[in-house]
Amino acid sequence: MRRQIFLLFSGFVLAFVLDAQVTSEDLLKSPAENWLTYHGDYAGKRFSPLHEINTATVAGLVPKWVRHFTTGSDLEATPLVYEGVMYTTAGNELYALDAVTGREIWHYQSANSQGRGVNRGAAIWGDQVFFTTSDCYLLSFRRTSGAVLWAREFASKADGYSCSGAPFAVKGRILVGVASSGINCFVAALSAEDGKEAWRVWAVPKSGEPGSDTWGQFPLREGGGPMWTVGTYDPDLNLIYLPTGNPWPDFHGADRPGDNLYTDCILAVDADTGKMKWYFQFVPHDTHDWDANETPILADINFRGQPRKLLLQANRNGFYYVLDRETGEFLTGTPFVKDLTWATGLGAKGRPILRPNSEPSAAGTLTCPSVHGASNWWSPSLNPDLGLMYVVTLEQCELYYSSSQKAVANSGFRGTGHNIINARPGQFYLRALDSTTGNLRWEFPMPGPTTMWAGTVATAGNLVFSADDDGDLAAFDAKTGKPLWHFFTGSNLHASPMTFGVNGHQYVTIASGTNLITFGLAAKTP
Amino acid sequence: MFAATAVFCPSDLRGQLDRSGPPTTANPLTRDPALVEAGASLFRQYCTGCHGRGGEGGQGEGQGPNLATSWEVRRAKDQELSGFIKNGVKGTAMPAFPLPDEQIRQLAAFVRSLNAPAASLPIAGDVQAGEATFFGKGQCSSCHMIRGRGGYLGPDLSDVGATRRLGELRNSLTDPSPIPSADYRPVLVTGADGKQLRAVAKHSSYWSAQLLDERGNLHLLHGEDAAKLAFAQESWMSPEFAKRLSPGELNDLVAFLSRQSIRPLEPPKGPPVPKEGAR
Repeated sequence: MRRQIFLLFSGFVLAFVLDAQVTSEDLLKSPAENWLTYHGDYAGKRFSPLHEINTATVAGLVPKWVRHFTTGSDLEATPLVYEGVMYTTAGNELYALDAVTGREIWHYQSANSQGRGVNRGAAIWGDQVFFTTSDCYLLSFRRTSGAVLWAREFASKADGYSCSGAPFAVKGRILVGVASSGINCFVAALSAEDGKEAWRVWAVPKSGEPGSDTWGQFPLREGGGPMWTVGTYDPDLNLIYLPTGNPWPDFHGADRPGDNLYTDCILAVDADTGKMKWYFQFVPHDTHDWDANETPILADINFRGQPRKLLLQANRNGFYYVLDRETGEFLTGTPFVKDLTWATGLGAKGRPILRPNSEPSAAGTLTCPSVHGASNWWSPSLNPDLGLMYVVTLEQCELYYSSSQKAVANSGFRGTGHNIINARPGQFYLRALDSTTGNLRWEFPMPGPTTMWAGTVATAGNLVFSADDDGDLAAFDAKTGKPLWHFFTGSNLHASPMTFGVNGHQYVTIASGTNLITFGLAAKTP
Repeated sequence: MFAATAVFCPSDLRGQLDRSGPPTTANPLTRDPALVEAGASLFRQYCTGCHGRGGEGGQGEGQGPNLATSWEVRRAKDQELSGFIKNGVKGTAMPAFPLPDEQIRQLAAFVRSLNAPAASLPIAGDVQAGEATFFGKGQCSSCHMIRGRGGYLGPDLSDVGATRRLGELRNSLTDPSPIPSADYRPVLVTGADGKQLRAVAKHSSYWSAQLLDERGNLHLLHGEDAAKLAFAQESWMSPEFAKRLSPGELNDLVAFLSRQSIRPLEPPKGPPVPKEGAR
């Protein structure tokens, strides 16, 4: 008998037993202790009802664990947490960690994927967890063990596509998007069961389709419109809101006369069929790379005294937009940066009123915002009780250059480029905007090298956590903007914070450089 | 009660062939068995002194590295690999071998084959019969999973052909390590229904432990519960496993495992490699 005698526990108490299936109902209840989507919820609010960490207790927040990843690039993921297990990604890698201790449960690294790339997170559905490789495979894993269930290539690297975004689980389908340099991009909905494609929404229409007449003679196949962030979802309207990126070549628009639909848009599509119900374009004929990939936040709040279903976006172009998300009607828009030179305002239907001589030129045209944008994919958050939207905002201008050099797709050519003026490096701010007007309520300056790509999370503890531009995670009084706590994470921040709970205690996590750091209250957590 | 259950966990299957470079399934060097064979002969002549007979590396100072697990070798393009042999490697003890180009190519093919994933090599054996053994007589699937079918106590094998070498696959079946690897240490837990379950510890320390039981449920222990854990010394996988299968069944099982890749693979061409694998 070769087996050893096993010592058994008497009175063994299980901290956790996980055998539940993650359902639509679970996803609709998130975030609470669980944080089940990239933004925590379907609406993109990144607002947690947890309040153990609050304005009175936040001073006792301490790091509980740090996990180092041997990834080549800085981490950009927002982790998911389900029943005490954290699922997080690095380029071509997926990890399941004990969320309380940071200890690894399982880990997958794609041996086949070329290069490391960056990755922004995972999706969860049923007993599965999903992530995409940099070469656009969606992989499905058994949630508890990490066993691979299937792999589906949904776009070809050979065609010029790349993938970095977190997948998005809606009604048993996993939405995935692609980026490119000059090839028409899309979001596809794949069955969670086997990866079979249910529908696909293209950023640029095919010849003869509505919108195809907004490109002149430009080859539509090369229109671009990267869809590298996957939007938000309204279960009542059964609509998914998909942001699209900018047209290609980025800075040279002469060969693509017209509005270049559906680039720089929000597309409202039917969750079951992918059929477009409406679209709204923020920047017609973009020549500054101001994609619309910022979070389209869904909120039901009074607008001018009337309850409305709203879609809110602090756009890369410097305007804060309020749309009716049932119809796509433009309700209002206002600059949320002081430095905004390219437009004098927005028309009645939201179309920008262009300031003359703002186009990129051979000699360079000084324009604000910069190509990074007034905002970007770094996450905003919304405190619905206070009616405040928290936006990491970049005040920055740049010289934009254009060239009529012949554009070649997938060559890396973008129509020339852009340059920061050394004397005007710009600066980040955390801004609290009135969610229905975009008016500034408070701001906190974040001096630094303007190299961060990190956002916020808001909580019912009357707090907003935000990365700053100098490597700190900081907590602010949500109402007043008073800084209450901060911690230098040791590295530049390229990811947004999130918060979760285990055993009734609250934690806050952020990726910093190649580390993932989790904080909890010293007096409360093990 | 568990002793009656035949289980096996090839603990050395846990790792991956390489995590930094893409194993190619279409390398022209490894797809030509004659080239590999000629390279093996040259390797014995020129290389074994430093790199060991099977490329496993020499012992002691000044000896050559293990070429079968070297990420530098896997990552190198064919031309670079040939360059290492022909011109030597500066700053190391690796000298230049000014051999004719064809012989350099043969050597490169052999070194490449040491690192080739099993899925890229033609193999003797009946894949379908191997599948039947995996899910049937071999009882492999009581612990191992392939594409969602099977158990939880052993490593997932869905990608094992793309990430392991042929020799490793065979060795893990015929000569499994009795010592469980660090993230598959066997332990018993009590399920929600009070039943005792076999489990493996994915990690454990004084402060916390993360266990996966045979039903696929996780048990996350913190504090005292973790400190009280006790483990078996031997893997859930019986080293006696292979004795229950005939050489033909074993060969078919290796063939089946070698074809497991989560990405579609171009089927290997050419005559099957010898049973011992590419070496």
